[in-house]
Amino acid sequence: MNKKNFEIKTIFVFVTVLFTLFLIVPMCFVLIKSVMADSGGLGFEHYIDVFTSKGFLQAVGRSFLVSSVSAVITVVLAFIIAYAVNNTNLPNPLKKIISITTVFPMLLPTITYGFAIIYSLGKKGLITEFLGLNVEIYGFRGLVLGYVIYTLPIAFMLINNTFKYIDKKFIIVSRVMGDSPLQTFFITCIRPIIGTLGAAFVQSFFLSFTDFGIPAAIGGEYTVVASTLYNEMLGSAPNFGNGAVVALVMLIPSILSIILLNRLEKYNFRYNTSSNIGIEKNKVRDFIVGILSVVILICVLSVFVVIFIIPFVESWPYKKIFSIEHIIEFFKDTSLFKIYLNSLLVSLLTALCGTLIAYGAALVTSRSTLSRKSKQVVESIALIINTIPGMVLGIAFMLVFSGTSLRNTFFLIVVCNIVHFFSTPYLMMKNSLSKMCASWETTAMLMGDNWFKTIVRVVTPNAKFTIMEVFSYYFINAMVTISAVIFIVGARTMVITTKIKELQHYAKFDDIFTLSLLILATNLIVKGIFAFISKSQEKRKEKR
Amino acid sequence: MLELRNLRKSYGSNQVLNDISLDIQDCEIVSVLGPSGCGKTTLLNVILGITDITDGQIIFNGEDISEKPMEQRGFNIVFQDYALFPNLNAYKNITYGLKNNPNISTQEEVEGLINLLNLNEHLDKSINQLSGGQKQRVALARTLVMKPKLLLLDEPLSALDGVIKESIKERIKTIASEYKLTTIIVTHDPEEALTISDKVLILNKGEISQYGTPEEIINAPKNDFVKEFILKQLTIKKNNIFSLFGGNNE
Repeated sequence: MNKKNFEIKTIFVFVTVLFTLFLIVPMCFVLIKSVMADSGGLGFEHYIDVFTSKGFLQAVGRSFLVSSVSAVITVVLAFIIAYAVNNTNLPNPLKKIISITTVFPMLLPTITYGFAIIYSLGKKGLITEFLGLNVEIYGFRGLVLGYVIYTLPIAFMLINNTFKYIDKKFIIVSRVMGDSPLQTFFITCIRPIIGTLGAAFVQSFFLSFTDFGIPAAIGGEYTVVASTLYNEMLGSAPNFGNGAVVALVMLIPSILSIILLNRLEKYNFRYNTSSNIGIEKNKVRDFIVGILSVVILICVLSVFVVIFIIPFVESWPYKKIFSIEHIIEFFKDTSLFKIYLNSLLVSLLTALCGTLIAYGAALVTSRSTLSRKSKQVVESIALIINTIPGMVLGIAFMLVFSGTSLRNTFFLIVVCNIVHFFSTPYLMMKNSLSKMCASWETTAMLMGDNWFKTIVRVVTPNAKFTIMEVFSYYFINAMVTISAVIFIVGARTMVITTKIKELQHYAKFDDIFTLSLLILATNLIVKGIFAFISKSQEKRKEKR
Repeated sequence: MLELRNLRKSYGSNQVLNDISLDIQDCEIVSVLGPSGCGKTTLLNVILGITDITDGQIIFNGEDISEKPMEQRGFNIVFQDYALFPNLNAYKNITYGLKNNPNISTQEEVEGLINLLNLNEHLDKSINQLSGGQKQRVALARTLVMKPKLLLLDEPLSALDGVIKESIKERIKTIASEYKLTTIIVTHDPEEALTISDKVLILNKGEISQYGTPEEIINAPKNDFVKEFILKQLTIKKNNIFSLFGGNNE
């Protein structure tokens, strides 16, 4: 190897080998498994088997239906909230509260959403009793509600981000040109974000289609693709060949989504400037949008109230008396607390190693002189991962590594998480690194630094905030994920989310909600620590 | 002395530098002047050592350094955007190189530089609090602490306005004579080039159009390019200023 660029080449080779072993090879295994006849040799019997069974096509149809309906609702709600935050004169503290509460559900695993819905809106549920409702929530309705809660934060973040960069000056221009208020609304508000609205729809659809936690909790008899996939792999009569076929079917909408998302990019406006000129006074508008947003958020949050209540009640719904017995018992049960420690370990390792790998990969593409081909390799890895649902990755890992000594190890779970969530951290890092001055490395080298010293003394300190964001992204996602890890955990390496799935069979909902609370508390602490660090850093900067 | 011998640089079939040969004497200030795309930044990168040459030789004080890696040549550069490190304050930027090479400049020498560049009151400031001219001076100080054998400046004045431009120009001249530094300045502004340097190298389409003292270029332009693009601009400027002061332009 040429001595020049030795370090960055080493990183490139490491990243490529890692993703070849833990992404490309496993995915090829799924493909091979799907075309292997049980008798050995090639054959399409699994495809025929899966597609001729009546239940499967029905499940696909249901998945499409329920995901589309949820995505439409999500986008509308997310738009209202984003509009309230960006285009009204609501007081700033209220806007801040709205933004923060909207993304709150991200701190909890999706499987918890399902159980929270059951305990809120099911028969004898908290809200059911409080409002005297009687709605069937198992199946379609429950799924839609769960998916909307799950995808609202992501849709909101997408739309909010675009809204922020709309040049508000154009509202004034449109008004002085004599447009009617409705025309102004369409030209200056809807048109600039139409691409993002599309992207939010696609993203919500994709997430709902591939989510495992919500149908696992609340799907009931209403079978969707995700539940079929789980049953083929870990159900009472597993059939790995059929499972591989279902996994590949799940991959199709995912790939289509990514293609669509790239197409939608073109609809996005690029404003040269973003002048903040102030928003026109309109009390009626502010009032309506403000009330709507608050109502939406109260509805979302009310579903989660049960999580805070059930563990502290003696026997829900029969003996509604305050008691901390469950909590005491929970902490006495060392096996449950050990699972929490497992989750903590997995999340910390995922965040630590994942951040390093995303950082390394981003250095290759944005701060090195490696060939364009090498950079394209890294870019393609990120793109491929974006199209692969967690469940499919988990199944791929299960097929490749069962029978090896890696099976059920923490190592494998951590690697699986790192691969699964790689895209976003990588893009965050790349974005931040490519904005930095291009001449730093040359300058530092002329001052006597070697490559490593430059990274430590200059690049890393300036990427500090992004590194912290990436770390907390990896940590929180590793804490709440279930879709991939459900297929690769073992008895010794159980994490909280998979334990919740197990506890479902014993109907131990006190423990389920207590574990969920632990996840929530941990995520809040991590968020809090990073918020504190960046705040105090900023203050120090201001003082200087 | 820096000697360039038949320097060529091409990217694929695209010839960026073509047969560049010239000598730069010790302690000389040389400006490289030309329109964008003429190859002046490539020439700078080639001398610095970021970019490899396709053909030819670079000889410094009798030694062929064409193959020598950038960090061993002992040259240094101030980039157009200064490349100051925002995580460090002005003083830490200036003394950045001392961490790797503690003996390269003494404390007195560093203080001398800070005084010369008038940076005393800005040392504790973060980079974002500095004005353009202050940033330029910090970047200059940081580079000079390294005692370069050859100082390269990439468009050092283009980001500065009016009065500051003139004062930085004077400072560059003072530094070059005080530290006996051979200095190469890349610029696209003829006025800047002709007023700051001992010699001017005019590049056009990767080739030397003319290499001479400012007087030679004004009084004996070698070809139409020099006349059309360099002298014409200066004449228009001159006339504008004369008419502004109501004077006679002859």
